[in-house]
Amino acid sequence: MASDIMSLSDKEIKARNKQRLSAPKTTGEKAADVLYWILRIGVIANVVMLFFPSFNPIRVSENVNKNMSLFSCALSHESMLNTFKATLRRQEWLEPAFQSLSTIGVFIIIATIIAIAGGCMSLGNTKLKKFGLLFSFTGGIIELIAVLQINPIVQNLANQSDAVGKFEDMKLFFPPVITAFIILSIAYIVISVVNFVLLPKINKLEGFEMEPQYQLFLMMLPFIALAFVFSYLPLYGWRYAFFEYKSGETLTMDKFVGFKWFTQLFQNAATKRDIVTVLKNTLAMSGLGIVTSWIPMAFAIFLSEVKNTHFRQIVQTFTTIPNFISWVLVYAIALAIFSTDGFINTMLTSITGEPFTTNYLMNSDHMWLKMLAWGLWKGVGWSAIIYIASISGIDQGLYEAATVDGAGRFARMWYITVPELIPTFCVLLLMSIANILSNGMDQYLVFSNAVNRESIQVLDLYVYNLGIGNGLIPLSTVIGMVKSVVSVVLLFAANGVSKAVRGESIV
Amino acid sequence: MVINKNLKSRNQKIKLTPADIVFNIFNYLFFAIFTLSCIFPFYYIFINTISDNELVTKGAITLIPKGLTISNYIQMGKVNDLWSSVGITFIRTILGTALMVFASALAGYLVTKKEMWHRKFWYRFLVITMYFNAGLIPWYLNMAMLGLTNTFAAYIIPGIVSPYNIILVKTYIESIPAEIEESAYIDGASYWKIFYKIIWPLSLPILATIAIFGAVGHWNSFQDSLILNANTPELYTLQHRLYIYLNQSSNLSALVQPGASASDSATIAGQMNTKIIQYTISMVTIIPILCVYPFMQRYFVKGLMLGAVKG
Repeated sequence: MASDIMSLSDKEIKARNKQRLSAPKTTGEKAADVLYWILRIGVIANVVMLFFPSFNPIRVSENVNKNMSLFSCALSHESMLNTFKATLRRQEWLEPAFQSLSTIGVFIIIATIIAIAGGCMSLGNTKLKKFGLLFSFTGGIIELIAVLQINPIVQNLANQSDAVGKFEDMKLFFPPVITAFIILSIAYIVISVVNFVLLPKINKLEGFEMEPQYQLFLMMLPFIALAFVFSYLPLYGWRYAFFEYKSGETLTMDKFVGFKWFTQLFQNAATKRDIVTVLKNTLAMSGLGIVTSWIPMAFAIFLSEVKNTHFRQIVQTFTTIPNFISWVLVYAIALAIFSTDGFINTMLTSITGEPFTTNYLMNSDHMWLKMLAWGLWKGVGWSAIIYIASISGIDQGLYEAATVDGAGRFARMWYITVPELIPTFCVLLLMSIANILSNGMDQYLVFSNAVNRESIQVLDLYVYNLGIGNGLIPLSTVIGMVKSVVSVVLLFAANGVSKAVRGESIV
Repeated sequence: MVINKNLKSRNQKIKLTPADIVFNIFNYLFFAIFTLSCIFPFYYIFINTISDNELVTKGAITLIPKGLTISNYIQMGKVNDLWSSVGITFIRTILGTALMVFASALAGYLVTKKEMWHRKFWYRFLVITMYFNAGLIPWYLNMAMLGLTNTFAAYIIPGIVSPYNIILVKTYIESIPAEIEESAYIDGASYWKIFYKIIWPLSLPILATIAIFGAVGHWNSFQDSLILNANTPELYTLQHRLYIYLNQSSNLSALVQPGASASDSATIAGQMNTKIIQYTISMVTIIPILCVYPFMQRYFVKGLMLGAVKG
């Protein structure tokens, strides 16, 4: 049975999986399956609630930072107390109470982990399922007990603060999400008991087993979760584009402003002027990059005309180094060569005897070309490698035949090498057109200074300066949103062009 | 390199004409100058860090080092927070790369298994993340919401799943003969066992490639430190630290550790000006890259070629 899984096609596998699922089941098993789905969805919801600040059951006082999730509260109770007033922090009953709140958080996390294990086991055979129910049950019990402890602590805090006349200052409240946690944990307990009854008896000979399809899925699950958290979840941040928001605040519906920031982008004169400058810079620098994208190809072609192997290897080795250093280091190099006491000035001074002290980095002339030059210096050797590899793959017979026919060096380069490299070139060109709005920010950030700010600011850097530097989070989110959407559209367009022209997709 | 052998056999057949000679001269000259421009800055910075500081300040060091000394590197130890940044960067490079490689290997293996529950959907779910991006600010807010700002974990966890590397590993594993895996499966080996006994050792070449590129990426990373950990100077990466020093034009005493005595600060300030400090930190930042560079080279073409056949 084992071996034939491997040799099956996708479709056959699917059919098999379906067949297995549709194996005759009793009504009790069907009901258990439905309950299991509720349980699994509950576990997922539970995990999500651990990380969302708005679902934090242990944030019992308005004084606690609104951006703290259950998870971060459980990590340290001190960070919960950070935002309390000094007069409150001096009360000796405050710290132990929040310490126990943190401990409750830890227990809720442990309970969730146990519930996750139970949920995963529910994908196994009957024996594994029944074993998993034990986990769901334990998880439910621990979570219930932990959540129920919150109320007495809040009561206690209220009494103690009342006794010293600080009840108002404490701003205690009862997080409504506690109810959700109680319902969840009771659901775990009830479902595990009911399913224990519903599931058929365990066959004594059976071991713990799980179908391969679910085994593989569970092994994959951590990566899926990580991809979700770090790539899909940020999309949830797009909601900031529709709110009035300053760093550190919480979003509430009364701060909803609809498309205000979108219209500001086009109506506010100052913003509009900024955007126009920034777009001009972005398009100019990307455009220059695209216009010069043939340079690595030319570099590779001419390098392959160098006959001396050692020389060629040395060139290849050293011209790739700049690709592997960061833009910060490139800037360090720029300083060393072009600043007031850099190489150029010291060299000129020592040759002419007169002092030269121009700081070449402190002016805004030809900024686009300078940035292009740095980009080329850093990238050309590396970008050429793919072409060099392609050139080495070209059939030597072509060159020999051409030589016999009387083609000179340039004719061979132009009529044989270049056409062979064009497909690669086209793919890279299309990709760079799709990326026209994303030139990254590292390069422009490190080279920017008070003098050249206007002419160096590209879209990515502008978003950074606006959002992180000036705290204008909604507006910078709007710009980022528009940029993301345009980029995806461009990518699909480029892909469409590639498909139409070359019959191959690039993504 | 195979590439070079092929080129050699072709080039030897060319007969030289005067035009060829002129062409060759210009060609060699161009590449010589460009190559020089790629290595000279590093050399220039290096000779300035090992030369006598007074001469450096006077601007006397341009092409050859004078008055050799390594005192600058020793003095660097007294510069505030530099070594903590070196440590942080080293740990994140090693830990981050190890986890990323392991995750890419395992995920790359798993997505080749047709029998996985909704394999195609999950594979696309991972791959599609390469092509969209919520933007810098939502990303930052998301990290803040997850409690990952001002933590070391912010350097490691987001980088574990790298769709591009997963594709590379998947493509590579698909080229391994399926029979090897099948026979192990028949013998009753579990997916885990197949992974670490067969798939892992067989895919070591591609894992080395992604490890090298991953490590360089970690070593050079700058944005995450700048944006996420801006309020925790003890977590700054080396690149971030270098960036700060590059922008700090004066105020040398600020660079010296608070614990150091006043006379110590004075000596350092007296012996090393900002320029020398900047040069020395630049060297500290670049030396590890230059050290692993020779070992990286053989993976360049492989990495690039594999990247070209993705999907």
